[in-house]
Amino acid sequence: MKNIPASIHAMIARLPETGKRLWQSSLPEYLLHSPDLNAALTYMKYWMLNYNEIGKFGIECAVRLGPVGAIRMLIKNPWLHTLLKVNDLMRRYGRGRTGLYLESICMTLHTIVAGTNDTLKQMFFSPDKLVIIEDLLPPDIMHAMGLGAYQLEGMGIMLPIMDPNSAMKYIDEAENEGMNPDACSLPKTTVGMVLKGHMPKGLALVSSNLPCDAGAASYSFFQRAYDIPIYRVDVPYHFYNERAENLFIEDVKEMIAWLEKHTPGRMDWDCFRKICENRNHLLELEIELWDMLRARPAPLASEAIWLSHLWHYNVSPDYEASVQHFENLVELARRNLENNVPATENERYRTIVWNPPFLHFSDIFNWAERTYGLTLMNDSMSYHHHGPIDISTPESMLRGWSRIVMQGPMVRHTRGPAENYLDDIFRAHKQFDLDMIWVANHVGCKGGQAMNGILREKCRERGIPLLILDYDLSDPRIVSHDNMKRQVEHFMDNVMKAKRIEH
Amino acid sequence: MSTEKARIIKLFHELLEDPQNRLVEQAAASGRIPIGYACSFVSEPLLMADKLFPVRLHATGVAGTELADNYLSSLICSYTRSLLEFAMDNRYDRIQGWVLVPSCAHMQRFIDNLDYLKKPAFNHVIDVPRKVNAVTLAWQTEELHILASKLSSQFDVDMSNASLLKAIGEWNYFCEVMRQIGDIRKKPNPSITGAEFQIVIMASLASPKDLILPHLEALYNEIEQKEDTGKYRARLMVVGGHLHDPEFIHSIESQGGLVVADRFCTGSIPGLTPVHVNGDPVRALAEHSFEKTLCPRMMEDFDIRLKTIIDIAREYHVDGIVLEIIKFCDLWGVDAMPLVSALRKQGIPVLKLEREYRLGGEGQLRTRVQAFIESMGK
Repeated sequence: MKNIPASIHAMIARLPETGKRLWQSSLPEYLLHSPDLNAALTYMKYWMLNYNEIGKFGIECAVRLGPVGAIRMLIKNPWLHTLLKVNDLMRRYGRGRTGLYLESICMTLHTIVAGTNDTLKQMFFSPDKLVIIEDLLPPDIMHAMGLGAYQLEGMGIMLPIMDPNSAMKYIDEAENEGMNPDACSLPKTTVGMVLKGHMPKGLALVSSNLPCDAGAASYSFFQRAYDIPIYRVDVPYHFYNERAENLFIEDVKEMIAWLEKHTPGRMDWDCFRKICENRNHLLELEIELWDMLRARPAPLASEAIWLSHLWHYNVSPDYEASVQHFENLVELARRNLENNVPATENERYRTIVWNPPFLHFSDIFNWAERTYGLTLMNDSMSYHHHGPIDISTPESMLRGWSRIVMQGPMVRHTRGPAENYLDDIFRAHKQFDLDMIWVANHVGCKGGQAMNGILREKCRERGIPLLILDYDLSDPRIVSHDNMKRQVEHFMDNVMKAKRIEH
Repeated sequence: MSTEKARIIKLFHELLEDPQNRLVEQAAASGRIPIGYACSFVSEPLLMADKLFPVRLHATGVAGTELADNYLSSLICSYTRSLLEFAMDNRYDRIQGWVLVPSCAHMQRFIDNLDYLKKPAFNHVIDVPRKVNAVTLAWQTEELHILASKLSSQFDVDMSNASLLKAIGEWNYFCEVMRQIGDIRKKPNPSITGAEFQIVIMASLASPKDLILPHLEALYNEIEQKEDTGKYRARLMVVGGHLHDPEFIHSIESQGGLVVADRFCTGSIPGLTPVHVNGDPVRALAEHSFEKTLCPRMMEDFDIRLKTIIDIAREYHVDGIVLEIIKFCDLWGVDAMPLVSALRKQGIPVLKLEREYRLGGEGQLRTRVQAFIESMGK
């Protein structure tokens, strides 16, 4: 009671600031400063579509859970409010971008909003079929078994993208509970969310040794916190060989048997075949898209590429909507290429980001585009070179799917010898005709940190400029956005001798 | 301390001062082959076959890791940085082969950087699974077969079953003697302190077993019947990762907490489990490699680790547990969260200490241990 007047007073004091922020993220403000009418219309279209999706979810909640249930859900999961900031994110991504490039980015975000709706429905409406999985295990098999799946680290990835400050309270919660502060902030965020009771409890947990020690070790905590059965898959160290594939396939088969024992799910191989076909189709489209990106200047770039992959490959590879999205991306890229319209008006430099993207400052590349004409072509979470899945038999499907998991992002870089990490970087450098390499030097990523010395020397041998950008994945307090920009500026000014674009 | 015991402990202490002590040099000079290893998942008996002998790599006395930090970064476990520092400084020049396990990200990158910087003639990685079942046991057995075959062809050594059985016999005897020394610590007034035991076991793991055994037997004979009326207020167990510097334990004991049980990587529990052979000796070694280690990298073993710690605490009449974690270790750092909570729920006092590989901040360490002992009412 004593705090209520103080809180009201604080709220009133913050009104001008809140008002300013609301205005700056509003639609009218964007329309006022929009680069052209097309951009304004594109933005408006997806602004409405996004809120439409959010509204639909809200209505479905009210109908399925009842008004009281829906409100209870919102109170119990306050992070849902953060997801409402998607249009603010779209604004940050869209700043200064026009034409089909802007369309591709807005479209990408919109598909993620729709996909998130679906994920939330699985989480909240079907707890009797929900399996919680570790984020680098795709949900294909769970879906093929008729189960819902939620990647426990999912919100830990999404929330700081939406709102840079959103993960901090969860990180603090985990550290207060005794988790080592130097651990990666993604497991810390996830642990914090579980500690606060903000994550749904499923029927079972499926985790793995991916991608790192902190992530894998955190599941001992989750198992005890949820007190539900857990299965762990184990990717071998040397996985580019048949012996390792055989071991992992046996592990996956055990996982399926285990899920059939502990959940109502039953493996439907026809369904799994459709999922694998979907994946193969996605793969074809993505390869086609990447081929087009090799053109200079690139027809599309940045979030259209990495955010599309992050969501559609890892969360919804079995959805037709994902295939549709990539078909749309290919179409947009083709149109830009045919009409000689570049994504970035002043593409001067091209780069790739290695290690997890800058979650809390994912629009840094929007700034880099406008400041230096620097285009992000790809990133280590997206880049891959695995082949299609042979869908002829369950065994061949499992083998192909297992390869995708074992050669997945971060997995193939954190397992096996250094070549697994280095070769991909130089391959991508050649493939996309890059001018430099950026390493997202997350302070909590020990595996990445310990490769910088070798990478620096290898890049020096090859004459490739290398930026090692210090930051923390989810916590902007460790390295601020300003500091991150300063690091880029120092590199671009002093190493690349880049001139800034005059506006 | 008796004069004879003091002399023996001093001998072990001297052997620990150099990562390639005089016994290693002596054996190498006689044509035997030292193989370096850094993880408890490596099968020591396998590396004792024929003229091979295992040397547990340590970097006791490392002054700094300035060279290694350029490659491994200063945000990495200081154990692996210390190893790399020593390697870059040629402190392991007598080691003819390396057998390593990518047990964690730090160790994995140590392997990568060692390969890149030193290009050892023999550097083998055992791909130890992170869970134990029939399938992974078969895998581990095959991994050890592969290692044995490579050792045989590289060093022209006999890795036959007969040779391995002989090595297993030697290892088991070594464990037997060490265990007998360790069992003395269960007594109310043990005649060996935790720091002394740590010196002994660490020096032994870094030496050829046949050459260290006479000293171990002498030590056991000397302390077996004795009691020490040292002034200790509490009995403690140390749990955690790599701990090579006995000064850490000495600092704890200087505050009145006698360390009677050591459940860490280079400790005796369960590191001195004998190998039980029932058929294929390589399979027995594979089983043994899982049994003798309780590492948080093993994803499914949290409850086993917890139970083992609780059982040891009861067996050794431990008043409290000191959980030591090398800074930046994610496995222990994250595992500690539910572990400390679970131990405290069992009524076992726990002091969690973050440390570097080499002893530092001794004043703070002593203060915290002192406060911990007082908080137990001792």
